Amino acid sequence: MGRIMDTAFRKLIVIGYGKVTGEVLRYVRERQEEYGYGLDFIEHEVHPLSMTEKICEEKGIPFHRITDKKELAAFFDGLEERTLVISASNNFLFPASVVGKANITIINFHNALLPAYPGRNAPTWAIYMGEKESGITWHYVTAGVDEGNIIIRKRCAIGEDTKAYELAGSLMDLAGEAFRECFADVMAECVEAKEQEFVPERRMYRSYEAPADGFFRLTDRAEDIYRLLRSLDYGKNDIFPPARTIIEGREVKVLRYRKVTPQKRKKEDGVIYLPLPADSFLKIKYSALDNER
Amino acid sequence: MEEKVLQILEEHCIEALDYDGDSMMEDGIIDSFTVINVVSDLEDEFDIEIDAKYVVAENFKNKEAIIALVQRLLDE
Repeated sequence: MGRIMDTAFRKLIVIGYGKVTGEVLRYVRERQEEYGYGLDFIEHEVHPLSMTEKICEEKGIPFHRITDKKELAAFFDGLEERTLVISASNNFLFPASVVGKANITIINFHNALLPAYPGRNAPTWAIYMGEKESGITWHYVTAGVDEGNIIIRKRCAIGEDTKAYELAGSLMDLAGEAFRECFADVMAECVEAKEQEFVPERRMYRSYEAPADGFFRLTDRAEDIYRLLRSLDYGKNDIFPPARTIIEGREVKVLRYRKVTPQKRKKEDGVIYLPLPADSFLKIKYSALDNER
Repeated sequence: MEEKVLQILEEHCIEALDYDGDSMMEDGIIDSFTVINVVSDLEDEFDIEIDAKYVVAENFKNKEAIIALVQRLLDE
């Protein structure tokens, strides 16, 4: 089958490392023949559970691992064809020289409802701030971080027990769905993109910032402690250091936590239980900080 | 131990129980977010620490690999 869909883009480049990256890659590979574009994938951040290299191998998509930022910027600077760059779960900040190139359009998936929670670790901040809902935004990339015009947004609920990694997963699913919805319009360059409405108190969330600096006191409300722990929880992904508190005069780190029923309480060393509402407890397993061992 | 591992898998990813291949992640049976949930429950159930270095596709390629991982950590 020859090219049947009209687009000015001669090349698509996908960059990212998450679940949504795989979904986007598969989708643009499926549509490649209709549009007739060239397709490349760039892995900038390496994740142990990432399946993108396998997908590229299976689907015959050229795979480039470029971990050096300068090398990556040079790669984009060197593009001459009309190119759509799809930044799907990617933390590389495109330099102004790349963003300003007339032949390059960049779209990015952000895991919050922009203009809320721009920057890094948005699921963390949405949970920590007690939001009842969050969502995703696909937007055009400009020189400012997460400031470009909005292509599409989708919402999802944040439950009382939702952890950061669970929200991040749901948001990636939503992002895949939204991408498929807006793809044809992006390719045809007919998106009715909306400008973001910034409030004066808008702030950027940085990668090194953790809610409450990852610290809580046992005198804090257990619901607030639970919310903080959920907001920092990316499983084994080393996004934040373990949460800390003071127990019996010593600073300790949280190893694990869980909401449990009263029947599940049992006396164990290195474990405390804090009463939560609705007849449940917050079980926290802790240990000495590494530098105290 | 095996029975408990299978119970945890059943709770998060029932398809893993009938899967007889050797790459659940590549075959779309389990995703990285489900792996995190499984790891969290395994740690809690067996009171073990599953270090990030063990959370790789190879150790989650099928239910037998997960059981073997837990067994190794319990033996340590």
